Amino acid sequence: MREIHAGGKPLKKAYVAIFLWFTGRAIQAAAKVDKEVQKEFAALPDDFTFALGCLPNGPWMVVGKEKGKVKYFGGNLKCRPVHLRLVIKSLDAAFLILSFQESTALATTRNRLMTDGEVPYALSVIRILDIVEVYLLPKLIASLAVKRYPSWWSFSRKLAGRVGVYTRTLLGF
Amino acid sequence: MNLTNGFAFTCPFKTNSGNKALEHLPVELAGLNAFKPLIITSRELAGPKAIGTLINAFGDSGMTIGVFDDVTETADLNVVEQIREIFLKGQYDVIIALGGGIIVDVAKILNLAVSLKVADARQLSPATAIRDPLGPFVVIPTAAATGMETSKYAVLSGKIFTSVHLMPGLVVLDPRLTRAKDGKTVAEAGFAAFGRTLEAYIAPDKNPFMDAYAFTALRFIRENLASAVNKRCNKKESLAVANAVAMSGCVISNTDQNMLHRLGQVFQNTVHVHPGIIIGMCLHPFLDDCMKKDSSRIASLLLPLAGDDKYAAMPEAGRAGDALRDLCEFSYEIYRSLKGKIPRTITEAGIQQYLMKDIFDIINQEPDGAYLRTVIDRVGGSSIKA
Amino acid sequence: MILPDYYEFCCRVKIVAGHDALEKIPALLAEMGSKKPLIITDKGVAAAGLVDIVVNALKEGVTIGGVADNVPPDSDLKVVNQLAGLYRDNACDAIIAVGGGSVMDTAKGVNIVVSENATDLMAFSGAGALNRRLKTLVAVPTTAGTGSEVTLVAVIKDHEKHLKMAFTSYFLLPSVSILDSRMTMTMPPFITAMTGMDALSHAVEGYYCLQKNPLSDAHSLAAVNMIHQYLPSVTKNPADKDGRLAMAVSACLAGISFSNSMVGIVHNLGHATGSVCGVPHGICMAILLPYGLEYNMHKRGETIAELLLPMAGEEVYRKTPKAERAEKVVSLIRQMNQDLNEITGGRHARYFSEVKDRDGKQMVPREILPEIAKAALLDGATIYNPEDQDYEENLLVLEAAWEGKPLDRNKIKKG
Repeated sequence: MREIHAGGKPLKKAYVAIFLWFTGRAIQAAAKVDKEVQKEFAALPDDFTFALGCLPNGPWMVVGKEKGKVKYFGGNLKCRPVHLRLVIKSLDAAFLILSFQESTALATTRNRLMTDGEVPYALSVIRILDIVEVYLLPKLIASLAVKRYPSWWSFSRKLAGRVGVYTRTLLGF
Repeated sequence: MNLTNGFAFTCPFKTNSGNKALEHLPVELAGLNAFKPLIITSRELAGPKAIGTLINAFGDSGMTIGVFDDVTETADLNVVEQIREIFLKGQYDVIIALGGGIIVDVAKILNLAVSLKVADARQLSPATAIRDPLGPFVVIPTAAATGMETSKYAVLSGKIFTSVHLMPGLVVLDPRLTRAKDGKTVAEAGFAAFGRTLEAYIAPDKNPFMDAYAFTALRFIRENLASAVNKRCNKKESLAVANAVAMSGCVISNTDQNMLHRLGQVFQNTVHVHPGIIIGMCLHPFLDDCMKKDSSRIASLLLPLAGDDKYAAMPEAGRAGDALRDLCEFSYEIYRSLKGKIPRTITEAGIQQYLMKDIFDIINQEPDGAYLRTVIDRVGGSSIKA
Repeated sequence: MILPDYYEFCCRVKIVAGHDALEKIPALLAEMGSKKPLIITDKGVAAAGLVDIVVNALKEGVTIGGVADNVPPDSDLKVVNQLAGLYRDNACDAIIAVGGGSVMDTAKGVNIVVSENATDLMAFSGAGALNRRLKTLVAVPTTAGTGSEVTLVAVIKDHEKHLKMAFTSYFLLPSVSILDSRMTMTMPPFITAMTGMDALSHAVEGYYCLQKNPLSDAHSLAAVNMIHQYLPSVTKNPADKDGRLAMAVSACLAGISFSNSMVGIVHNLGHATGSVCGVPHGICMAILLPYGLEYNMHKRGETIAELLLPMAGEEVYRKTPKAERAEKVVSLIRQMNQDLNEITGGRHARYFSEVKDRDGKQMVPREILPEIAKAALLDGATIYNPEDQDYEENLLVLEAAWEGKPLDRNKIKKG
C-alpha cells in the first residue's frame, strides 16, 4: 500500500500553452484580415469573451471583444468574465487536438471537447477557429483539422489571408 | 423476437473506450463527486507497467492516489477487511479496480463493505441485502479480464455475491492496457465472452436491449479474436476483444440462459481452470444439442458471425449449417495458432480424477445437472471419471 | 463493425417492458426504497385516461403523493418550481412522469430542485453541475417517439426572462423506464405516424452521425428493423397491442442510440423549422429524414447502405447492387412517408408545402425558408453532422424538402 501524489506533465503543458498563445494571437489577427471572421464576431455581443483550454489545471487562452476590437487577453481565465468556455477534458486530449491528430469536430464527438455556455456562441467560435486553422496550416494538415477544407475559397483570399494572419500573429498587432 | 411476455433490462455502467481513455479519469471522477481514488490491483497479476500507466494518467491533476497492489489469487474477505481499513483511514472516496478476475472481485466486495458501512467486511455474505446503489466504482480491465468484471457477480472464496449494484459505474478500456502479453490470455477471455454471449443470443426469450450488446460482442470477437491472438502487437484488435469482453458482463447479468457460464464457473472454482477454456471446449457439444432442438436459433447466429453479405446470400435453409461451419473454422483457427497452449478436452487440461469427482458432485446439484454431465462427458470428462 | 478510436456509451436506465409493465412499478419502487411517488403528467394524457391506468396499476403497496396534470406543452420554470413545492409539501420520495417530451423535461427539472434542494434551477445548468444521484424517477412514455425516457437532457424554459436552459447530466437519466403498450394504444393514427418517424430519425441519424459507436449502432439497427416493420401496420391498426409494444421498444432503442451518438442535419433543420414555424417535431423529422441521408451520402454512403438489411430484409438487400443500397434506403424512407400519408388520409405530411395547421392554413410558407436556414446556424446538432453546413446549403435542403424533390447533391460543397 502506498499513496502517490500525481506528478506533472511539463512538456505537454508547454506545447499546449505555446499553441494556445499562438492561436489566440492568430484569432486576433484573422479578425482584422478575414471578412467572414469579422462577420462572426460582429454578430456576437459587445464584450463577448471566450476561453479555450484544458482541465483540470489549464493552460487557457482567452479571446474577446473590447471596444469593437477583437483581442487576445492572454492565458488567465480570471482576467475578465467569460461567456463561453471550450473545455478539453485533459492535457493529453488537448495535445491530440493541437497536434492535429484529431480534428475539433472529432474531438467533440469523442467527448474530449465540451462547451460550457450557450450553443449559438459555441457554433460561432468553432466556425472562427476553423477559418483560422485554414489560414495557419498547410492544406494537408488543415484538412485533418476541419470537417471540409474550403477548396472553393479563391486563391487570393487564401494567400492574402495567410500572409496577413501570419504577419500579424508573429508581430502581434 | 417475441416481446409479448415482457422483459426487464439494465446496464448500469458507462463505457469509455479508446485512445487516452485513462487520461479522462480525473474529469470523470470529478463528475461523480470523487477526488481521492484508491486503486485496487496486483503487481503480480496486472503488472507494474499497467499500474504505472494508470498513475501517469493522473498527471497534472494534483490528485492524491492510493495504490493497493497486493491482491493475490487467494485473496479472501480478510484482505477486503484489510483494504476497508485503509480506505476509511485514507478517506478515499472512490474505488478503481485495475485488472481482471479476483482483483475486481475484491474491489466489488470492498465497495459493498464501505458503501454499507459495515463494521467488519468479514460479516459480509451472499445473503447480505443490497438495496441501494453503492458508492462510485470504476473498473479498468486489462487483458487478463475474464468478462465477469462488468457483471453483477462477485466470487470470493467460493461464495457468489449477486446484485446489479455490484456492477461498476464506469468501465475504462484503454488500448495501452488491453494488449496481452500472450495469445493464450486473449483467447481465454475471448472464448469466455463468446460462449456467454452466444448462449444469450440464441436464447428464445432474449430482449432487444440485451441483444444489442450480445450482437456487438459476438461480431467483435468473431472479427478480431484470431488476429488479437496471433498479432499481439495489434492494439486495435485487442481493444475490440476487450470491448466485447466488457459487454459480455452486461449480457450475462441480463439472462438466465447461462449453462456454459455455470460450467465455466464450476471448473474455475474447483480446479482453477480459466472458464474460457471450459466454455471453449463445451461450445461444440452445446451447439450440436441446440441444433437438434431448434435449428432456426443457430441460423440467427450467421448474421453476427459472417456479416451482412454472407447472411443475406445464404438461403434460410442453409444458414444454421453455415453458422456451425463458421464457428468451427473460428475456433479451429484459434486453437491451431496457439499450438496446444489451450487444451481442447478435459483430458488435455490434465484435471485429476479425484477432482473430477468433486466437479461432478457440484454439477449434480444443479437442476439441469444430468444434462450438464452429458456435455462434460463429450469433451472427454468421461474418460477420466472415477 | 467499426471500433472508433475513442467512444463513450452510457444508458443506466433500467428498462421494463410488456403489456403489463405498469404493474411492476410498486415492486420497482420498493426495490429503490421509495414509497410515495408524485405523478407528473399533462392534461391531454390525463384526459385520455392514461393516468387512471397508471394509478390503478399502483394500487398495491404504494401511496400516491399526488397527481399533477398541469405540465404545459412547453416546459416552464414556474411549473417546475410549483411541482417541486407540491413534492415537498406531500413528503413524496419519488417521481413518476407520465407523458411525452415536455412532461419528461419538467419531471427532470423537478427532480433537480427536490434532490439538490435548489432555489435557483439555473445554478445546475452547465457541464458538471450535477454530480450525485437524484431522487428516483420513473418514466412512463405515452408516445413512441421522443426517447426522452432514456435521454440525459432536460430543457426548461423561463418564460419571464425568455431563457431556455439546457441541463445535461447522466444523473438526469430516469431510474426506470416503463414501456407499456396500454400507454400508446389510444394515440390517433397521424400522431402514431409522426412520433414513429421521429423515432426512426433518431435511429438513422444516430447511425450516420459523427459520434456513432458500436453500441449505439447496434441499438440503431434493432430500432430501424422494428420501426420499418411495425410503424405502417400500427398506424393502420391502432389496436394492435404487440405492434404498439414493439413501437414503444424501438423508440426507446432509438433514444438510447441517439443520446449516445447524437444527431445531425435532420434535427438541426428540424429544430429550426419547429421554432420558426411551430411545426410539430415529428413532422419535421419525417419530412427531413430522406434529405439528411442525401446530404451526407458522399461521406457516409457505405454506412447508410448498412441500414438496408435491417430495414428491408435479405431479399431486397440481395437484389440491390452494392452501389445502390444507400439510395435504396432513402427511397424506402420516402415510401414510408408516402404509405403513412395514405393511411392517415393525407394528414401525415410528406413535404413542408403540405404541412397545414388546424384551420387548414399552410404552416411553412415558402418565403420563410431563408429565416429557417438562418436559425439553423444557431442549432448545435450541426456539430455532429458528418458534412459541414452553411446558410446556402441549409436553404438548398429546405427548398427541396418544401417541394418534395430529391436533393440536388451536386450543389453541396465538397472539401
